[in-house]
Amino acid sequence: MTHPARLRDSAPARQVAGFGTFALDAARALRDRRTWGPLLLEQMRRLGVESVPIALFIALFTGIVLALLSKYIFTGAVPIYFVGTLVGKAIMLELGPVLTGMALAGRVGANIAAEIGTMRVTEQVDALETLAYDKHAYLVVPRVLAGTLMFPVVTALAIALGVTAGYFTSLNLLDLSSAEFVKGLQIFYKFKDIWYGLVKAASFGAAVTLIGCLQGLATSGGAAGVGRRTTLAVVYGCEAILVLDAFWAVVLL
Amino acid sequence: MKQRNAFVVGGTVLITLAVIVVGALWLGHVQLGSRPEKVTARFRTVEGLNVGAPVTLRGVKIGQVFRVELADSNWVVATLKLEARSEIPVNPAVIAATASLFGEWEAKIISLDDPLDDPAVRAELAAARTAGPDDWPGATLPDIGQLTAQAGRIAGDIALLTDRVGAVFDSTTAAKVRNSLDDFLTMVNRLTSFTNSQTTRVDSLSAKALEGTTDFASAARDLSATLSRIDSATSEGQLASIVNSTQGSATDLRAATADLRTLLGAAREHEVSLVRILVAADSIMGRLQAGQGTLGMLTKDSTLYNETTATMVELRKLIADIQVNPRKYFKFSVF
Repeated sequence: MTHPARLRDSAPARQVAGFGTFALDAARALRDRRTWGPLLLEQMRRLGVESVPIALFIALFTGIVLALLSKYIFTGAVPIYFVGTLVGKAIMLELGPVLTGMALAGRVGANIAAEIGTMRVTEQVDALETLAYDKHAYLVVPRVLAGTLMFPVVTALAIALGVTAGYFTSLNLLDLSSAEFVKGLQIFYKFKDIWYGLVKAASFGAAVTLIGCLQGLATSGGAAGVGRRTTLAVVYGCEAILVLDAFWAVVLL
Repeated sequence: MKQRNAFVVGGTVLITLAVIVVGALWLGHVQLGSRPEKVTARFRTVEGLNVGAPVTLRGVKIGQVFRVELADSNWVVATLKLEARSEIPVNPAVIAATASLFGEWEAKIISLDDPLDDPAVRAELAAARTAGPDDWPGATLPDIGQLTAQAGRIAGDIALLTDRVGAVFDSTTAAKVRNSLDDFLTMVNRLTSFTNSQTTRVDSLSAKALEGTTDFASAARDLSATLSRIDSATSEGQLASIVNSTQGSATDLRAATADLRTLLGAAREHEVSLVRILVAADSIMGRLQAGQGTLGMLTKDSTLYNETTATMVELRKLIADIQVNPRKYFKFSVF
């Protein structure tokens, strides 16, 4: 059995501890509103609004495929209007938030890690500290806040488009009437279905941006280091999404 | 640049908010501007009737279950949110039932004035109405899953029975059944010939029965004549005379019985005296037996007897001596 002290000094434990310390520093930097305030809208546009097309693209095809899969699965005993139920529930509860989060982990996480990592290796971060800027307030807080606020927005649009795509697919490619699809969509609907997905998306946004910032600030070793940290940011971001997904399923469902 | 950022971000957020709000309202059947009516229904159990389940009237959805909560005395109260324009029956009740095979439940609004087939449902509705007069009475039909499970078990039993019948009904059994059918056919043939042979006997029997019937009719006529004679005798007063004599005899018998009862009463009184005498005699006999009194001593003590006997001997001797020598005992003198 591993000794607790040795476990505490292991690499994963140090990484978790480092992440916690980093998150606490970022939380403390929230007080420095004059530094991160002017940068927030810019980050919301870059991380959120500019991510909408990729999220909608993914949601569009997810809705189409899900409708076709539902029809394939439900052939036989199950009433066909359950296509609407499956499409709605799957996209609202799981596929919308998770697939959007994964896509944004690739786009946003990599973007943040590469940008901050480059600033780190070109000593721009050092220059900021020399100018008495809090690097957390200037670099981390606006990105994390933007991710936390905009991931639910992007996810909501993705959910809406995914369900709409499933609806039109059911009408045009499957022998399903509009009333049947709507009946299936509404029959088991609860308001929780919506807010559950949005809460998950917000947590995904916070995790992905925090990990991106952490990896960026930990970059060293020139361009190769930037590439390595960018890869780690995407990988850890995706892993964090899956872990959080399971966590919220246990806590909220 | 800052204004452009604000416009783009604000626009995106607003659009998203609009999508979320409209979608949530549409999916939740929320109608803005209408004031839904809330009513409560009382059930023993609501089974799978959860919040959000549809409320239907004659098959048309007119609302949904708003709240389900436990009430006192093992009741469950469900709050139903109904559309304001719904035309509710005058005497409403709610039936919670499965809407499909897939676990969907609904609350059906019915009228208590309509006939209800199920006596259990009628009883449940009556109990709910008694328990909560302000609530709509509610009853829950069995879960269709339970019914299908029951049907599945029955089907399994039938399959098992069929298998057993199949196992028993093999080729040997079939041959035996065939032989039995052959035997039955033979028996039927014999029965047919027997019936044919008996038909003539039955004809003869029928003729005799006809004669018997004629005799019976004659006997009936004789009986009728006898009865008419009795009837005439009755009318001439002979039977009345017999009856009167019988009544007289009965009166005499009743008087004799009364005398006998008096005699028995006297005997009962004498019986009392006799008992008293017997008791006294028994007492005397007891004392005699115990050697008390003169007689008792006489019977028990031989001394007295012997002395008495000796006295008698001496007395006889004295009498004899007196007879022989009277002057020895009696003196007569004039002077």
